[in-house]
Amino acid sequence: MKKMLAVALILVAGSLFAAELEVGAKAPAFSLVNAVDGKTIDMKPDDGFTKVVIFTCNQCPYAQAFEPRIIEIVNKWNGKGVRFYAIDPNDETRYPEESLAGMKKRAEEKGYPLPYLKDADSSVAKAYGARVTPHVFVVDGGGIVRYRGYVDDQADPAKRQTTALTDALGALTNGRDVANASTRAFGCSIKWKT
Amino acid sequence: MRVFALFAALSLSGAAFAADLRPMKDPAQIAKVFPAAARVRVVNVWATWCAPCVAEMADLRAVDAAFGSELAFAGVSLDDMIPGTKPEQVKAFLDKQKVSWPNVYFTGSPDALGDHYGFDGQIPLTILYDANGRELWRTQGTIKKDDMIARVREILRRNK
Repeated sequence: MKKMLAVALILVAGSLFAAELEVGAKAPAFSLVNAVDGKTIDMKPDDGFTKVVIFTCNQCPYAQAFEPRIIEIVNKWNGKGVRFYAIDPNDETRYPEESLAGMKKRAEEKGYPLPYLKDADSSVAKAYGARVTPHVFVVDGGGIVRYRGYVDDQADPAKRQTTALTDALGALTNGRDVANASTRAFGCSIKWKT
Repeated sequence: MRVFALFAALSLSGAAFAADLRPMKDPAQIAKVFPAAARVRVVNVWATWCAPCVAEMADLRAVDAAFGSELAFAGVSLDDMIPGTKPEQVKAFLDKQKVSWPNVYFTGSPDALGDHYGFDGQIPLTILYDANGRELWRTQGTIKKDDMIARVREILRRNK
């Protein structure tokens, strides 16, 4: 009985603190509701497109600071063989701003050019091993993670030294390897649904 | 004389709390804020935009209050990572919270800070060091006040 309990505890801990997906790992598929129009969007990892999965949210000031940059990047790469998915994994019961209605409001106010999906039970964030908002994963057309980490090293364009996400997209869309494939995502901790 | 004493008492009670906030770019310089007498040194990486960081301030104050000069704190604020933030805003927060330990307003590279402390970008981060800069313990996420007090007591007891 004790052994069973110990195994159960390990499994629970494992599900709460899943490791960040490694570069080279197979990306999990997901099927989530877009807060903007209520439609379900399926992300199929091996769909042939480069995909950018961005864990973000409404109430984190650091995620908000990156919002204009994310919009700029999406506008630049949309229609060029890249698909974008913004995902809010935060618990809306403790943080009401993170509800579907709150997400729709923000997406419309800011003119999001990408779907804003609700990860209502935080399971997709756990599957990717996302820790913070914003936290980015780039998946190639075959479903393999090719970049993980931050958008840029700094939210302030004047201080920026690394444009890791756009560098990764530039490499992948030109058939090259990503040179800086893993960076350290800073941000607000994900408010897990418990 | 009585009027003077009353005036002095009022001045003292009404004296504004002035937090110690120092701009700093190089992570390697942060350890220099610790007083030499401190046998256990605590680095707390935080930001006003980090809700769990703000929530744990009262517990950090309680840990600080449980010890004398043998324990010293240094906060490292990452508020500068949000464009447009001014150090005065962080100082006002520290004043309001009556945070008595020195804080660094970190203006350097987040990557460099992450490398220096070997963490994954998630805050709050709290690390205990000995007087020689050897890491003794760390926790990522909010501290547990009683656990941390017990841990510091044990470290001090073992290293008399």
